Amino acid sequence: MVASDPMATDSIAEGSQEAGWRSQARKSRDPVIVDDAHPFDLDAYISSYTGRTAVARLLHIANVCPSLAQPAYARAVRLLRESREPNTYLNTIAQHNSLSGADHIEPDKKWVDDIHNQNLSDKNKLEVELKAYSSNMIKESIRMAHRDLGDFYRMTSDNSNALKHYTKSREFCTTSQHVLEMCLSVLELLVEQQNYSHISTYIFKAEAALDAIPAQQAAPQGAATTATQSQAPKKSAEREKVQTKLDFCSALAALGVSNYEKAATGFLKLGYKGLEDWFGKLVAPSDIAAYGVLCALATLPRSALVSRLGLSQPGSSKGSSATSEPPPFAYYLEQEQYVRELVDAYVNSKFKTVLELLDRFSSRHILDINLSPHVQELTTMIRDRAIVLYFQPFASIRLDRMALAFGLPADQLEKMVVALIQAGQIKGRVDSQNKILRAKDLDQRVAMFTRAEKVGKAIQSSNHKLLLRIRLMQNDLQVPKPSLKDNKGSSLLGAVPTQMVLE
Amino acid sequence: MSLNSLDDVISLATGAQGSNSTHVANAFKALVRKDKDGADIMLSGASGSGQDPLAILAPNIHTLPYLYILSARLATNATTVTHAVVENFCRTADPIQLRLAPDRVTLLAHGISRAADQAGSIRTAIGPLRDLVRRFPATPAHLTSVHPIFVHACVKSHYFTLALPVLQQAITEIDKNTYDLTYHTSLNYHYSAGICLAALKRFREAEEFLEIVVSSPSQGPPTAVQLDALNKLALIQLIIYGKTNPTPKYTHATLGRIFKVSPYSAFTKVYPAPTSALVGIVEKDLKTFSSDNNLGLVKQALQRAPRWAVRKLTETYVTLALPEIGKAVGIESEAEVRTMVLSMIEAGEINATLSAEGTVTFLDPPTSFTKEGIDALLEDAQTHAMLLVEFDRELERSRDFLQKAVRDREGGGPWMMEDMDMTGHSSLREAIWDEGDF
Repeated sequence: MVASDPMATDSIAEGSQEAGWRSQARKSRDPVIVDDAHPFDLDAYISSYTGRTAVARLLHIANVCPSLAQPAYARAVRLLRESREPNTYLNTIAQHNSLSGADHIEPDKKWVDDIHNQNLSDKNKLEVELKAYSSNMIKESIRMAHRDLGDFYRMTSDNSNALKHYTKSREFCTTSQHVLEMCLSVLELLVEQQNYSHISTYIFKAEAALDAIPAQQAAPQGAATTATQSQAPKKSAEREKVQTKLDFCSALAALGVSNYEKAATGFLKLGYKGLEDWFGKLVAPSDIAAYGVLCALATLPRSALVSRLGLSQPGSSKGSSATSEPPPFAYYLEQEQYVRELVDAYVNSKFKTVLELLDRFSSRHILDINLSPHVQELTTMIRDRAIVLYFQPFASIRLDRMALAFGLPADQLEKMVVALIQAGQIKGRVDSQNKILRAKDLDQRVAMFTRAEKVGKAIQSSNHKLLLRIRLMQNDLQVPKPSLKDNKGSSLLGAVPTQMVLE
Repeated sequence: MSLNSLDDVISLATGAQGSNSTHVANAFKALVRKDKDGADIMLSGASGSGQDPLAILAPNIHTLPYLYILSARLATNATTVTHAVVENFCRTADPIQLRLAPDRVTLLAHGISRAADQAGSIRTAIGPLRDLVRRFPATPAHLTSVHPIFVHACVKSHYFTLALPVLQQAITEIDKNTYDLTYHTSLNYHYSAGICLAALKRFREAEEFLEIVVSSPSQGPPTAVQLDALNKLALIQLIIYGKTNPTPKYTHATLGRIFKVSPYSAFTKVYPAPTSALVGIVEKDLKTFSSDNNLGLVKQALQRAPRWAVRKLTETYVTLALPEIGKAVGIESEAEVRTMVLSMIEAGEINATLSAEGTVTFLDPPTSFTKEGIDALLEDAQTHAMLLVEFDRELERSRDFLQKAVRDREGGGPWMMEDMDMTGHSSLREAIWDEGDF
């Protein structure tokens, strides 16, 4: 398994490397519009990120939003100038220059050559070190050499080689701490790469390593050099931090593969501690707020939503919630004002506001590198749930009133309602003539009788068939294994004049 | 005593040993085993005295010799046999003696069918064959080699209703040796029966029969009959349910794979789309449908497509105007929609009212559960449960089962459980438990 994983990631990484960055792999969609109704502040947004993720996000924005392409490329070029990735630098400049109406940016040839040379010499140096250590057979040194090479390749955006060396270093790990370190490095890399499908493998490995750590500390002879009684609480806090990171990765992976419910529960249990050193480097707190809340609104039942987010139920006294400790996710909720508003509107059943907010910030969501492919589906899911929730207490309701509550045109709402009925989510029927939605009154007793009758008949019929089948098998009257004889059925059947018969 | 001429046959039949059927049967078997063709020629010839042996023998007493001679004549030179003789034999022959020579009964049945076909009226074969089907098996639940021949004759002559009394008797007993059965017998019988019932528009029963064909046990690749049955089954399910149901778990996997790439699968997938889309698919693969002789079923499914679309609407709407229905099901003319909706209401397919302005109001389907109806259902279930218990006991008494059970007790290993699953034993236990849960 260990051997096959890097192979798989390699091929994915190589595929996207050609173009420089992975956001190119996205299917081109309708260009995202940024205007007063759909605000997006590029400067404020990108200032929350540093390093490679900032570049990746800028390139994603440039890719999906033509109106922001020029400033995004320009910023990316500036950031890349500080990096060690000359190829990406040149590619980005070329893309920037190919935009119509953009100022021409002259690539800094000297810098490119310098970095190229520097990269080459660093690489040679590290590889020589690795060779030396390998011949000396010092495990720990070999591990560190692999790790350093992995870091180096990651810095120069050679993801496949970075992954190769990180995974290689695992063979030379002597303690679980080292394995954990390796897993976290790989996870950072995978998150950067948006390689969601592989994340869970390394989370699994990391958790196993994490579990093994206390066991080693308990043993006196192990690598527990610093484990003393007083440090135990600190260790467990450390442990919690790592666990939070793993939880984040797992939630992100679930989001990546469209498992929104798992993503929602994952994000909502994240605490603030532990992720600090990933903020900016991989993700911003406001991102987590948006991911978590969107997934939660789309999948979790309302009661779970209220308790997870530590909100007071509308109507209940405000004092009671203050006494209990706020859940961990509350921190993220405060990071982004509109997310908070979204949750409040949803919990208070102001669905019109919910939909308006979702629409207003749709650009913000689509421009997010992780959320982008899921925005459409999540929005639809939230809207559908809202419609279902809204109708629940009614026996019948006029469609135009409902449309008013959602701020949607009546005919569009009717279509949605019909689709939801057909999907079995709303138990009701539409009075298309008077434009009324009526709940179905289901007689449970009759339904039960009908079901019992149906099941009984089905069982009798299938038992008859099974019995006959047993008899046939007991008598060995089975269609035989192929022989030279024809397998086309008997001549008897060819003569059956079905067509004339079955007009 | 060996049989060398027809005179020997007659003296055997009329002699002292003549009443010992087993003895006679063995003598004939020995004769046929020695030289089948020669025996048939000898049997279909004339006796030394020039007298017709069939005139000497009585069909109800000397059934076996009569059967051998008659079947031999039909096989070699059918014109010498008059219809009255055949009819008389089939009506009066002794069933116990017939069961001693099942292969000759098969031969006879084939002979009857062929002779009638050659004479140009397959219809005449139905009478004798029906007598044979009724009299040959010990119980009506037994399958015999005559069954497929009889039903096929009915289908071929379009006298479908004549087959009904036989078809309504479910086959549950299979005895390979007494009734000369091969795997073709079961496949052909159920296939022909399915077609027969489909022609009578008794689609639900047809579905059962075709499903048996489709899910017949198989060691090798599936047969063409099974594939054809699956195609017809899919079309029939479209007609009665508006969609296809999954085939039983134990259906040959290859069948499903072949079906998936056939035009039938394409047709079922879009069904019940607006008729225009369906017609497109049908026209594209018209050749396949017509060469498979399924055009009739396809047409019926096509006709019913808008009805299924309307049925779907009833689950979603309370009231709907006729033009809206027309739009949803793909019929433009309002008058046509009105006729269709009316006919559906009349047939009880939907429970609705149609107002003068053209608004259809769908009502909840009426539910009719009477005490008597439920009692009948329960009684049905109980009889069925008894049947299963009896079967279960029989299985536990059976040699195979006991052998395996003993071996298992001696430490035979866990494979036995798998084996039990294969015979369907454990699933039957579950079925009984289900029934008891009512």
